[in-house]
Amino acid sequence: MTATRVLVPLAILEGESVSPGLTALLEPVAVTVLGYHVLPEQTPPDQARLQYEDRATDALDDLTATFRVGGGPADHRLVFTHDREQTIDRIAAETAADAYAIPGASGQIDRLLVVLTGDVAVDRICSFVGELIGPREIDVTLFLATDDADAGRALLETAAESIAAREIDVRTRLVDDAAPFESLLETATDHDAVVVGEQAPSLRSLVFGEPSERIAVESVAPVLVVRNVDETSSDQR
Amino acid sequence: MGDCTPDMGVDPPSARGTNVEGEAPRIESAVETDEATITDDSELERTLGLSGGLAIGIGTMIGAGIFVFPGLAAGQAGPAAAGSFAIGAAVALLVALPASELATAMPKSGGGYYFISRGLGALAGAVVGLSLWFGLVFATAFYLVGFGYYAVDTLAELGIAAGGGLVIPIAVLFGAACTVLNVTGTENAAKLQNGIVALLLSILAVFLTYGSLDAVGLVGAPAAPEQFAPFGATPILTTAALVFTSYLGFAQVATVAGEMRNPGRNLPLAMVGSVLVVGVLYVVTIFVATSAFGSERLAELGETAMVEVGRHYLGTAGAVAIVFGGLLATMSSANASILSTSRAIYAVSRDALLPSGASRINLRYGTPHVALGLAGGPILVLTATGRVELLAEVASFLHLVMYGLICVALLALRRNEPAWYDPDFRVPGYPAVPILGALCSFALIGFMQPASQIVGLGIMLATAGWYAYYARDVTLKGEL
Repeated sequence: MTATRVLVPLAILEGESVSPGLTALLEPVAVTVLGYHVLPEQTPPDQARLQYEDRATDALDDLTATFRVGGGPADHRLVFTHDREQTIDRIAAETAADAYAIPGASGQIDRLLVVLTGDVAVDRICSFVGELIGPREIDVTLFLATDDADAGRALLETAAESIAAREIDVRTRLVDDAAPFESLLETATDHDAVVVGEQAPSLRSLVFGEPSERIAVESVAPVLVVRNVDETSSDQR
Repeated sequence: MGDCTPDMGVDPPSARGTNVEGEAPRIESAVETDEATITDDSELERTLGLSGGLAIGIGTMIGAGIFVFPGLAAGQAGPAAAGSFAIGAAVALLVALPASELATAMPKSGGGYYFISRGLGALAGAVVGLSLWFGLVFATAFYLVGFGYYAVDTLAELGIAAGGGLVIPIAVLFGAACTVLNVTGTENAAKLQNGIVALLLSILAVFLTYGSLDAVGLVGAPAAPEQFAPFGATPILTTAALVFTSYLGFAQVATVAGEMRNPGRNLPLAMVGSVLVVGVLYVVTIFVATSAFGSERLAELGETAMVEVGRHYLGTAGAVAIVFGGLLATMSSANASILSTSRAIYAVSRDALLPSGASRINLRYGTPHVALGLAGGPILVLTATGRVELLAEVASFLHLVMYGLICVALLALRRNEPAWYDPDFRVPGYPAVPILGALCSFALIGFMQPASQIVGLGIMLATAGWYAYYARDVTLKGEL
């Protein structure tokens, strides 16, 4: 089995960086720092590369070194692009990353909120959380918002068992009568970081933006998005 | 890091030389994949799809051929102006095919300049690269004047009699606004460009279908009969030389070759496809226009003759649709050309043929403000002259020189294929197609007005002089 890998995309030339809490959280896993720079269409990416490559590479070397201090293997990629999403998707597929991070801000991370709402790969999320936490003292809250309380309870129970089997303290929170997103944000306030699953694009996400991005913006905490890999990874190249 | 170690398997490093200021070409070995260009330390994402490429090609070309030239062309050649446009399309196709092969072999930004500098060396490259800058400047000025005419017509349709005196001031103002917006604007105008092209094509499809049906007598009044070529054969060729400006856009697709996804497939499709689409539209447009009015009447109506053609077939709604389409089309042509100009300047500056400062990007907006300024300044001066035909012909002249040399570069590369030369697309009918392409391109220049030929030649001599002064030690042949 290959090492669990997390992609950390950063707008490197805009000074985006990683909080100490997230660096520590990612210690057990392999990290690829993706430094990207988005250019307006007037500017050929190559033109930006000539001017900014050295500076960006320096910054990335430093960042990668901080990740290595914790012990996990870390490398970096630098991409000049017109389209941030396309770049993150491509690099995530090429590095076979299990998740990507939205950096946020956080001190030490003791409590992790894991969101299972919606059509997400629950098994993958649970095994990722298990690999990420390992033997460390980090508590997990599994969160699920659904209309079908019985099925939801069953799903939470199975997921909680699989995580508890790794000797991780786990609690569950089921929401079936309140506004899902608002309840999620409320729960997130007493957690240090959030893990969500990648969802297929929907009309809702087109209008309001990706749920993961909204969580990141509203909660300011680091968000780890576990990728949906089943069919997307096989058609590369 | 700026020094480049040659890629394995590529030609041995030659002394690239430096320019007067001691700058060497900034060339780094790179691996091209369908999704990105990968250099030693970084990657360049390919983000343009086929529709984006077609939108650049069609969006650049359509403004001139349909909305500006019909009146002028019919005035010179009569209904046979349709033949002039067909000749233009044939020449464009003969060049688009070799250009496609070179673009898939060298999918880098810089387009025609890049192929010629790598295939034929630095002198030819410098002349073409710098001439392309001016060629695009002339073309943009031409589109802007076209825009000015449509803006005045728009005001007229709105009941405001602005008069022809406002054409040039409006064109200059709009050109300045375009340049400033390109420096400061970071919103995604590409999506807008795609939308504009789709809208234009829809307007034209409706208008041309109705017009054709009318013209062949299926609906409406019978058309005015007129001799097909009232002025003989020579005007057909001189008109072809004039209207060739309507076919300059396909080479602009090659200037974004470095940003196109799956370039082996999308570049040939976008270049050849956009020429075919606009070629058919132009020929039908002339047919419809000359069926509505006699050539003399069209010539009197001048740059915005199509508005009256629209009124003839579909009443006020037709006129408004054409005015609106003309505004959009000339606007998108002008804007796309300004962007291409900035890329052309970047390409020569990267190769030390211009000072490296010309390719600086500003931190605030991430846009190439120096190159955009070097494009916008001369454009405004030329727009102010308002000489539509001269602007168009000089633009065509400078592009045709590049087109001819693109064909020559292909022949040179194919005769002695370097190890790195591995195009995904190969020209059908080699060597006839590139040989014909080169001959036709150079021949078309011969049919232009003497004034345009003199200006064009003067610019080429000046660029050669610049090369001799500034960068004669720089070599680029085979430097990927």
